Amino acid sequence: MDGHENEDVGFQHGGEDNLHCPSLGMSTNPLPEKISGMIMSPVSMYKPSNGADPFFSSGWDPLASLSQNENFGGSSTVSHSEFANPPYPNALENQGTSSTCQLVRYPSNSSFVELVQKLPCFGSGSFSEMANSFGLPDCGQIANSGCPQNYASLKEVGTGITSTNGVLSRDDPQISCEGAVGSSPNAKRRKRASDSKNSPIAHQNAEGELQKDLSRESSDVLKEPDEKKPKIEHSKGSNLRGKQMGKQAKDTSSGDASRENYIHVRARRGQATNSHSLAERVRREKISERMRLLQELVPGCNKITGKAVMLDEIINYVQSLQQQVEFLSMKLATVNPELNIDIEQILSKDIINSRGGAGAILGFAPGMSSSHRYPHGIFQGTFPSIPSTTPKYPLLHQTVLDNELQNLFQVGFNSCPAVENLGSNGNLKPEFQ
Amino acid sequence: MNPRRSISSNPASTVKSRFTNGFLKALLRINRQRITSTTAYTPREIFRGYLRVKIAADVSMASAIGSRRAWSRAMLRKVRSHGRDGAQVRRMSFLAMRKRNLYGKKIKCVEEDVGCYQANVLRKLVPGGAAMDMCCLLGETAHYIKCLNTQVKVMRRIAEVFST
Repeated sequence: MDGHENEDVGFQHGGEDNLHCPSLGMSTNPLPEKISGMIMSPVSMYKPSNGADPFFSSGWDPLASLSQNENFGGSSTVSHSEFANPPYPNALENQGTSSTCQLVRYPSNSSFVELVQKLPCFGSGSFSEMANSFGLPDCGQIANSGCPQNYASLKEVGTGITSTNGVLSRDDPQISCEGAVGSSPNAKRRKRASDSKNSPIAHQNAEGELQKDLSRESSDVLKEPDEKKPKIEHSKGSNLRGKQMGKQAKDTSSGDASRENYIHVRARRGQATNSHSLAERVRREKISERMRLLQELVPGCNKITGKAVMLDEIINYVQSLQQQVEFLSMKLATVNPELNIDIEQILSKDIINSRGGAGAILGFAPGMSSSHRYPHGIFQGTFPSIPSTTPKYPLLHQTVLDNELQNLFQVGFNSCPAVENLGSNGNLKPEFQ
Repeated sequence: MNPRRSISSNPASTVKSRFTNGFLKALLRINRQRITSTTAYTPREIFRGYLRVKIAADVSMASAIGSRRAWSRAMLRKVRSHGRDGAQVRRMSFLAMRKRNLYGKKIKCVEEDVGCYQANVLRKLVPGGAAMDMCCLLGETAHYIKCLNTQVKVMRRIAEVFST
């Protein structure tokens, strides 16, 4: 379905790297903020875990995960082990409470550290675009601010390029950045060896010097089929190094070429050059890329290697999210709020703008006097103008998180007696016949 | 693609904000309906209310996404055809087509690598997944997971506020 490939929400070639950008670019920065956000998370998630959902109750201890999360603070690469234990509800609440992108949550291991450091290569405009398309305009700015700090450490990444980078290395700016800075020891070696053979080709490639380097490697992309044979012979010795760059090269070139509506794929050494098997390989590469994407989205899947297990995890996660939606809609159906239109607008603004799960007192009765809502020192000189803005709630007081959550427990439980009658199978429908 | 991005760069029209607004409006409407009708707390009424809220959540989420993704289109299609009895015939043919696709995929699955069974389960979970190949299915699943996360976040926040 090629139509999907051009969607803005980024799972296509150009977009996939942008997809990672905001998440990973921010993972180093806002981590300290997450701690306070995460402290509230297990507490507020208590209800769903009690909501007769076997998936949630599978060995999840809110206090244990809380103590785990408190240790989260210092390093940017810790995340993964911390998140492995708390199952999805906790992780989801983390997402809810901290302000950043939905993608941010689970940077896993050292390869992600490399990815984080590689991010500055991306055009900064792409950050805000992708971030905004996922509904978080602040992401772009945060990611952009995080870029310069990471840029200095980019050189260290060079030799550690893994196949995961193939997902990111799609854009031209990315490639030129890599060629220029990243993997500098590799670049030098590649340049020396490739000069003789690749100079006629390099001119014709949009990707310039990097393409020249990569085409020397054993794998993949080449635009002139005539050069295939000498390339294959030359690449024998460089197979080992080439394989590292292989996927990346193939991905870059196929990502680049796909923009021209066709894909040049090069047969690797020892593989069939049948057009069917090449197409098959392209397909498989796409699928594995998407699997990697999903691995980042689903919490606790970073250790998993293996398609079947990964798919199982994905299925479980989707099911758990759907059950959470069902549960929350049940809760909302039984709760009876006293709302009017004004509160709706303010509520929507609060929800959209809420970062870190700070509470807001919106339980004011509409008839409450305006003097309570204004800060003391500010409006002394403009008191006459205040009554004109009375219907709006310009100031939302922030409550202490714990108090609000305690209220949530006491009041929320009591107002939803029907919810607690749900059976243990987590399936709400059969209960109400 | 670019105009869409410039639209979404306006913070008021992010997916989250669109979903929030749509969902809140639907919730208020449902509550008003509930107040006017008899507020019976029988299990049947509660279940009906729950269904309405759930459908409202799904529809507002799919509307916030629009027609950009296959799963949102499929979800909107399903809800709309659900409301119309005249669509029975159309739905039958739709189902037949889906079954054919599913079987087609199954037969193909034997030659493919692992994960066929899970792929089929995933197809049932993700709306509109039955008519997709593996590659698109995974892409749609990823987007669907993100949107589900947004949905859960917003709904949880609303539930918190309503409960205080």
